[in-house]
Amino acid sequence: MENMGRAFVLKTLLKLTEIRKSFGAVKALKGVSFELRAGEVHALLGENGAGKSTLIKVMTGAHRPDGGIMELGGEEVSGLTPVRAQELGIACIYQQPALFPDLSVMENIGLRLEKVGIFHRVKWAMWRRKAEELLGQIGAEISPEAEVRSLSMPEQQLVEIACALGSGARIVIMDEPTASLTQKEQHLLFQVVRNLRAKGVGVVYISHRLEEIFALADRVTVLRDGESVGTNAVDGLNEAQMIRLMVGRDVETIYPTAEEEPGEVVLEVKNLACAESGLEGMSFQVRAGEVFGLAGLVGAGRTELARVLFGITPADGGSFSLNGKTVEIRSPREAISHGIAYVPEDRRRHGVVLEMAVAENITMASHRRWFKAGILRGGVETEAAQSFVEALGIKLSSPAAPGGSLSGGNQQKVSVARWLATQPKLLILDEPTQGVDVGAKGEIHRLVRELAKEGLAVLMISSDLPEIIGMSDRVGVMREGRLVEIFDNAHAEQVMAAALGSGEVAR
Amino acid sequence: MKTYSRELTVGVALLLLLAALAVFAPNFFDGQPLVSRLASQMPALVLAVGVALVIMTRQIDISIGSQFGMCAVIAGTAAASGMSMPMAMLCALLAGALMGVVNGWLVAGLGLPSIVVTLATLVTWQEVLRLWQKGRLLALPDGVQWFGTSQGTGQALVIGAAFLFLVLMAWAMKHLSIGRRIYATGSDTEAARLAGLAPKATTFGVFVLMGILAGVAAVLNLVQSPQIQPNSGEGLELKAIAAAVVGGVAITGGRGTLWGVLLGLMLLVNVNPALTHFHQPPYWEKAIQGLVILLAVAADGIRHKKQKRLK
Amino acid sequence: MKKSGFFNHLLEKNEIILFWVIAMELVLFQFLGRNFLTSGNVSNIFRHSAEIGLLALVMTPVILTGGIDLSVGSLMGLCAVVFGILVKVFGIDPLSAAMLTILTGAMGGGVNAALVAGLKMPPLIVTLGTFSLFRGLAEALTRGSESYSGFSEGFLALGNSDLAGIPAQVWIVVVVGMMIWLIVHRTTYGRSLRAIGYGEEGALYAGLPVRRNLSIAYIMAGAVAGLAAVILVSRLGEARANAGMGYELLAITAVVLGGVSIFGGSGHVTGTVLGWIALAILNNGLTRISDYEIFGEKISSVARELSGLLTGLLLIAALALTICMKTLAARRVAKQT
Repeated sequence: MENMGRAFVLKTLLKLTEIRKSFGAVKALKGVSFELRAGEVHALLGENGAGKSTLIKVMTGAHRPDGGIMELGGEEVSGLTPVRAQELGIACIYQQPALFPDLSVMENIGLRLEKVGIFHRVKWAMWRRKAEELLGQIGAEISPEAEVRSLSMPEQQLVEIACALGSGARIVIMDEPTASLTQKEQHLLFQVVRNLRAKGVGVVYISHRLEEIFALADRVTVLRDGESVGTNAVDGLNEAQMIRLMVGRDVETIYPTAEEEPGEVVLEVKNLACAESGLEGMSFQVRAGEVFGLAGLVGAGRTELARVLFGITPADGGSFSLNGKTVEIRSPREAISHGIAYVPEDRRRHGVVLEMAVAENITMASHRRWFKAGILRGGVETEAAQSFVEALGIKLSSPAAPGGSLSGGNQQKVSVARWLATQPKLLILDEPTQGVDVGAKGEIHRLVRELAKEGLAVLMISSDLPEIIGMSDRVGVMREGRLVEIFDNAHAEQVMAAALGSGEVAR
Repeated sequence: MKTYSRELTVGVALLLLLAALAVFAPNFFDGQPLVSRLASQMPALVLAVGVALVIMTRQIDISIGSQFGMCAVIAGTAAASGMSMPMAMLCALLAGALMGVVNGWLVAGLGLPSIVVTLATLVTWQEVLRLWQKGRLLALPDGVQWFGTSQGTGQALVIGAAFLFLVLMAWAMKHLSIGRRIYATGSDTEAARLAGLAPKATTFGVFVLMGILAGVAAVLNLVQSPQIQPNSGEGLELKAIAAAVVGGVAITGGRGTLWGVLLGLMLLVNVNPALTHFHQPPYWEKAIQGLVILLAVAADGIRHKKQKRLK
Repeated sequence: MKKSGFFNHLLEKNEIILFWVIAMELVLFQFLGRNFLTSGNVSNIFRHSAEIGLLALVMTPVILTGGIDLSVGSLMGLCAVVFGILVKVFGIDPLSAAMLTILTGAMGGGVNAALVAGLKMPPLIVTLGTFSLFRGLAEALTRGSESYSGFSEGFLALGNSDLAGIPAQVWIVVVVGMMIWLIVHRTTYGRSLRAIGYGEEGALYAGLPVRRNLSIAYIMAGAVAGLAAVILVSRLGEARANAGMGYELLAITAVVLGGVSIFGGSGHVTGTVLGWIALAILNNGLTRISDYEIFGEKISSVARELSGLLTGLLLIAALALTICMKTLAARRVAKQT
């Protein structure tokens, strides 16, 4: 087996040169080069927002790059579509499986692997045999008859892996495949990946867990801010070096600093739990005038915590108090009436109604403040909107323009304005600068600091490590639904290490 | 593991109903009336199977009653003008297919919501029919009723054809790839697109099939009487949809079996005769039909909520 | 470039198109028909379509949320029967009976609200179920065929007399229309309906009371269906189980014709009113054409079928137009970015 693998080593399967991709004003990829050889596991490493998912989508044909060259087996490909990519032998296992929930496991595998005609016989026996065989190969104990809807997320992922395995793909992309797997399932998965490698398949492996990369990968390419920082053999690196590559060195310079001591405790959380969102034993405080940063990997439970505090998925254990008073929050409305504001992560779906006017968006969460007895008053609304537009420096043609006509950064400011209009005591910001260009990013940072100066308690969730270090007075780090550490004076390496759970390495 | 809980519930309810009838109104099971009643429900069975497929692809077709009426009148007119029976039947199927193409094109091609599209085609075909027939009864030539045979044979033919069709369809849904395509499209249209299963084509095809089945149902209805009423299809869509929904075809697509549809229909259509046999007025039929739809919907809703909480 | 911009602008102004449609209808029917634009007939146009106007108005908020209510016509039947029973069997005075009927309608809407907003089931299948349930209850209450008539003169005046030269029930439509217009366009409630229509989750994240507001829309639709039933009974002098049959289609057509997006969010009550007027004129105008024939019949004698047919076709055309506009708009946005 090992020898067979070696024979493929030199052949390049996939080569990306200077790939560029922008979304509006945001440059997601600024010239990324990447090369995948047959029979290697090539890890892709980077913070959230570094451009990994965009790069994957370019490889699978879901995004069309703006520039750069993509070569498959030495031949240039252009105009790649998801279906074409599959035909060319590229399989991708996403974090969210794209399966048919109402069908059984073997049907899902069969429909994916076979070119099903219209009036062909369904080869049930073959589908079952194939499903059993493929699931057996990856050691998954899943019945081929089971309905996918009834499977857990990791089980669904294993089904996806079985599909990729069975499709005979030459290139397999795995996007954080272990994010929700148990220890045992992980070991099985590693075995699967090694088997693939031995067969000459090229595996692109995305993970945040450094120990996995050391255990599994041959080479690693680090992405930072949409650029490839470099490709190295894993053997030549240690954890600390890898973290430094990911974080970069330009942390301290641009962030506005706190000048005053924080005031009274606004939010105090004790042992908060919510089974539905997988949160346990959360305890922390946020003071007036303070920016409390919340760091952690995607899926660590940060957004879930925000949703609990905001009453979308109410807590089922522990308690929290606002300004010393114990409160129970079961809906966003109650949260608002208690002075909690939440600027959500998914701006386009939850933050701004793209079709509605900016002014309508700004007053949406604070109708009671502006409109007596529920009667709209255009003058009041325009005036209110205008004051926020000026205060936040939102660039627009008119407050009557639809939210969707604004740039990402300005949309984000509208979303913030909507919540400032509720006159909150606690402002929760979820990835406030995601998908925002550099200029607007700085403006949002200054704004957040100013709000804190005016006595607002700010809870800021961000995956942008320099941002969270630069902006926060204190940083809490979450991992797997728990708050694992709180740093008073955080360093990037410490935070990253805590988030990764890689123990003492970085200290 | 697939669970057939809805089929079981409906089956048990049907058995209880029949058992109650057997005890309290044994003449319900008298031979000839029973066969007649069964035969008269076969068109509805074919329609219910068709609309079940439509709902499985996460669409709806409420124009099937109008399609049914249209096909019936077209076949009747063809037969009355001296065409042979097979030719007249072919006319009905073609007309149905054409009406299905219209729905399919508007829904799958243009991406319009099926409820409003089929609401519009419902009224369009219905009024065309009224303009054309002006409410007249259409007398059928001899040799059409019971396919030109005796009543007994004719009824046997109708029931036999419908059940053969049901068995074939159930087999096809399970063992032909088109069945899997239908379930896959309704279960997750986007995943179906990614898997190269052409969900749009499937949706279009299902609407066309629905039209053809409206034609089949019309023929099965046609042969049971000496004349046709142009408005014979009005309200049939509700019966068919109710049968499908009660029989466990999820309105959210991707789930349900044709056997469930059969049980659902049998439960629904036996409520009314049961009412009569228990000396209750039959005016409650429509209300009970509506109530049963709502119960099935509410059951689905509660199941969804529970599932969400579990996750 | 300028020209196409102007064209697009015109397309978006559904109201302007409808003005032209109405103007063309008026010219056509005046030219082809007899006694079309007489004061008596113009009164009739509105008198006979008042109930549909009410249903269309109250369907507008429901469709703005991205929902639909197929049960309003059936609910009218149930309410008509309930009203008849209250007055004729229980001898309640018409005014109190009307109040109770409207309450019945609101309760019927409450059933829809509970299933749509409470259990989060698709409004289409829920209201299809109540469509059957309400009509069935009406039939059961009248034992299939009974009807109630012989109402007092005073009550019948509501449906058949004029007030200041305008049919009495049209005043009710005007009042309800203004109320709905105010609710949709001038209250935070109406604003929230549109937000829900654009995206229910987004509305929830903005702290809007999504469930409550959805419920109110369906309950309101039920209550107004009850009101429409009372007016219909008064106009016809008879309460039957088949009252309002097929009205839900006419109401939905008026709303969609008026430019309210069937996907929710965008639309205007003014559009609904114009859509309703266009339909009402079509219905009436065809009955006035007795000099021309179609399928060997005078048009006036098949006016009902013909207008039904045209309504169906109009609905499809209006839907197709909204889709075209959507793709055009999307293309424009794509060009900008």
